[in-house]
Amino acid sequence: MLNDLTIGQYLPLDSPVHRLDPRTKLLAVTLLVALLFFVHGFAGYALVAAFLGMAVALSRISLRYLIRGLRPLWLIIAITLALHLFMTEGRVLAYLGPLKITHEGLIRGLLMTIRLVLLIALTSLLTLSTSPIALTDGIESLLGPFRRFGVPAHELAMMMTIALRFIPTLLEEAEKIMKAQMARGADFESGHLMQRAKNLVPLLVPLFVGAFRRADELATAMEARCYRGGEGRTKFRPLVMRRVDWVALGATAVFAVVVAWRF
Amino acid sequence: MNSKTGDRAAPAPARPRIPAQTITEVGLAVALAAVLHFIKVFEAPQGGSVSLEMLPLFFVALRRGAGTGVLAGALFGFFNLLLKPYVVTPVQFALDYPVAFGVLGVAGWFARRGAGGQVRVSRPAVLTGVIAGSALRFVAHLVSGVVFFAQYAPKGQNVWVYSALYNGGYMVPETLITAAVMWWLAGRKDLFGEGVR
Repeated sequence: MLNDLTIGQYLPLDSPVHRLDPRTKLLAVTLLVALLFFVHGFAGYALVAAFLGMAVALSRISLRYLIRGLRPLWLIIAITLALHLFMTEGRVLAYLGPLKITHEGLIRGLLMTIRLVLLIALTSLLTLSTSPIALTDGIESLLGPFRRFGVPAHELAMMMTIALRFIPTLLEEAEKIMKAQMARGADFESGHLMQRAKNLVPLLVPLFVGAFRRADELATAMEARCYRGGEGRTKFRPLVMRRVDWVALGATAVFAVVVAWRF
Repeated sequence: MNSKTGDRAAPAPARPRIPAQTITEVGLAVALAAVLHFIKVFEAPQGGSVSLEMLPLFFVALRRGAGTGVLAGALFGFFNLLLKPYVVTPVQFALDYPVAFGVLGVAGWFARRGAGGQVRVSRPAVLTGVIAGSALRFVAHLVSGVVFFAQYAPKGQNVWVYSALYNGGYMVPETLITAAVMWWLAGRKDLFGEGVR
């Protein structure tokens, strides 16, 4: 029941893409995602796909992993395609019972599908090549300038780090409690909706009590070590933008501007 | 020597803007929500699924207030993006992820804080909070669907009805079970009674 969880699908390899600063990758992906919303046409998408393909090749991540990221979404992708295919007015190409496929629908459906696939592949490449901790560090650093507007950058990053750290722990705990309750005769998989929800209560109570107790103990431990927010806090591994980061970011920016302008 | 060292000698021992207790609780609640996301209570044949992922977010909102609740929800919105990414336009992204889950935090308005900061929740108040939060989340998904479909659906078709049917399909059962479980849990001292500052 709980075995298919993948959050932070990080693949620890040694490649130029993996070694980039997380901020470089975050900004580059943001640029390319924005670009995808500017470009309307197969030529533009092909260029973005080629750029992405280059990055994937550099990252040494096999295409299998990128495609695996698409798998849970094939249904949504299919629905997107179908909706555009059948619901766009225009020159009719073919009839499928009461539905009609239009030329405009086909073009638009394909464009939307390609955009969606590229979006997912882009973000997958980011999470495959960057560890969750590096990602949160990068986000914290990028949010830094917004502190003066009241964005609690450090606190947000800390919450994300804690959440990422405790997902596996809580998952294990949930599994243990489920097994313990099943051994006592609990049934989590049958009955109608309300019955199932009610059956989950013996799982939820210990899970919640345990999680909030952990939160309590963690806060005490942090305070005992004089935790007082992000002010003046140093890092074991500070982020450093190297020359290769600037080159990669510059290349992406130039590419994005040129493609957005020409296509 | 350096005048800059003087600045460091007198750090204002400012109270952190967000207490450690709140930070850890939001972190754990988001983790709990992600775990519950995977415990499907009900799976519709067409792929829609119903889970209790909103429950921990409502908990934080009730225990810590609406502001913290909104923060926790928005944060989970970004996690949810990792769990099931579906982005077609920037507006749709914002509405379906950070906004949809952020608005759950309004449930915090319905909890009353007694003397000494103890949260006092009554069952009707908790239910109102859960329903208000879920209703706002539904509105976020509804508008997102309309914004998305409006560009593509043929003229004359009612996009509001489509979007309401699609999003209601999972939001109604999800709200029902979340409210029911909240009702069963609201009386428990070990969850709402002690340990809340």
